[in-house]
Amino acid sequence: MRLFWELCKLSFQRQLTYRAATLAGLATNFFFGMLRAALMAALYGARQEVAGISLAAAITFTGLTQATIGYLSLFHWYEVMNSVYTGDISSDLLKPMGYFSFWLAQDLGRAAVALLMRGLTIMLAYALVFDITLPRSRAQWLALAVTLALSWLVSFSWRFLVNLAAFWTPNARGVGRFVFGLSWFTSGFLMPLRFFPEWFQRLCNLTPFPSTINTAVEVYLGLLTDLELFRALLGQVLWAVALIGIGQLVLRAGVRRLVIQGG
Amino acid sequence: MRTALDLYRRLIGVQIRSQLQYRVSFLVDLIGQAMATGVWFLSLALILQRFESIGGWTLGEVAFLYGTVETAFGVMDLLFSGFDPSFFGQQVRRGSFDQLLLRPVNITLQVLGGEFVLRRIGRIVQGAAILAVALALTDVRWTAIKALYLPVVLGSLVCFFGGLFIIGATITFWTVESIEAVNIFTYGGSEMISYPMHIYQNWMRRFFTYIVPAIFLNYYPALFFLDKPDPFGLPPFAPFLSPVAGVGVLAVGLAFWRFGIRHYQSTGT
Repeated sequence: MRLFWELCKLSFQRQLTYRAATLAGLATNFFFGMLRAALMAALYGARQEVAGISLAAAITFTGLTQATIGYLSLFHWYEVMNSVYTGDISSDLLKPMGYFSFWLAQDLGRAAVALLMRGLTIMLAYALVFDITLPRSRAQWLALAVTLALSWLVSFSWRFLVNLAAFWTPNARGVGRFVFGLSWFTSGFLMPLRFFPEWFQRLCNLTPFPSTINTAVEVYLGLLTDLELFRALLGQVLWAVALIGIGQLVLRAGVRRLVIQGG
Repeated sequence: MRTALDLYRRLIGVQIRSQLQYRVSFLVDLIGQAMATGVWFLSLALILQRFESIGGWTLGEVAFLYGTVETAFGVMDLLFSGFDPSFFGQQVRRGSFDQLLLRPVNITLQVLGGEFVLRRIGRIVQGAAILAVALALTDVRWTAIKALYLPVVLGSLVCFFGGLFIIGATITFWTVESIEAVNIFTYGGSEMISYPMHIYQNWMRRFFTYIVPAIFLNYYPALFFLDKPDPFGLPPFAPFLSPVAGVGVLAVGLAFWRFGIRHYQSTGT
């Protein structure tokens, strides 16, 4: 366990040194946020509320989703496949900790920096420019903290799983691009899932993706009753457990067929 | 000129052959690419069942903007892959750009032929499909001028995005790393003009009218094709400025590129 936190700390510190990249990322995320907010306002037109979401809440939604791009590595994360392709995996497998935990620790450090430096900053910038909504009670803030942590765990678990495709195909990137594209659509990143037709929402809920973003957004906006909140959090836990379990099985199968070219 | 074209054809031919070596892999790439960009439009189409319009424009009308941008950006991304700032920045950093400079062949041609990402075809097909949806959903009153002008608009968009890519690539001469902020102009610009320009705040729209002339590339042509009134009261020839703006930005990009090469100092690697 100490090893885990040391790795996590190292990754945290390394991430902190990429200041220029953080700044550029912030500018880009914020600019796109402005575009998405304008789009949302144009969609609402004269409407006050759609599917239980007010315009202010919908604009806050665009901020929230832009703020989690870094935290959940929404656009790409191909580190495990790169280590399979370069052969770095051979030395990583020799380390005295599980391969999953090895990456989990590093991603935790990375995600923490992204949440603090990019996530919080974007929400602050949004608060300056727009009239955003905030969680209303201490319980809601607490639920938000829990759901955000679970979001990261579910997100990491599926990203890890997709990366394992590298054991079987020389073009795991193509597979990755496909799944990432699918995740924007079905996680509620592009639009709150409540805006979509019922049948589509049901389809999305068959995948783990709503547990990464849509749940966190609904908790933040206070759209859930106590019972719904409990079920949403439980759903996140179950998806995390399932994805980690499948990840372990696939990893074991993958390592068995791994051939390292001596170099 | 003949030899230049011949060389370009060879450079591209080699890449196409190599990328087609792994058929399944290429197919996965194609689908992945179409997926990554197609979902944005698909989600818009689905929620418009509830919202009906975007700033007064129907799904078909927005699809016209969206389809022209996607098709043109895909074609540009295919032709100008060599100037993709993130790819080009890597070449500058590793010093492989210096190797190109030593060869007795036009440098622009070498960069242009140096990379050709065939999977972008996925995006082009997806864009063309959206454009087809647009033309099916709106009943454009076709005239000879409209039929002739549509390819011009698409070509102008290709030039425009190509110019932005070249500017982004040239900046890496000084920054070495590709800076993510360049994405605001390329990807941000293309995202922005995928929707009607009147939905944005004034300062944003003015920036993309007078500094980066993006508004003339597809918004004004769309007003002309769809017979919509101009909400900003520009002169009646505004819809026909598309080629001026597109070729203009490409020319500025190329001029900046030549300036950059004259002052290029290499990283020493």
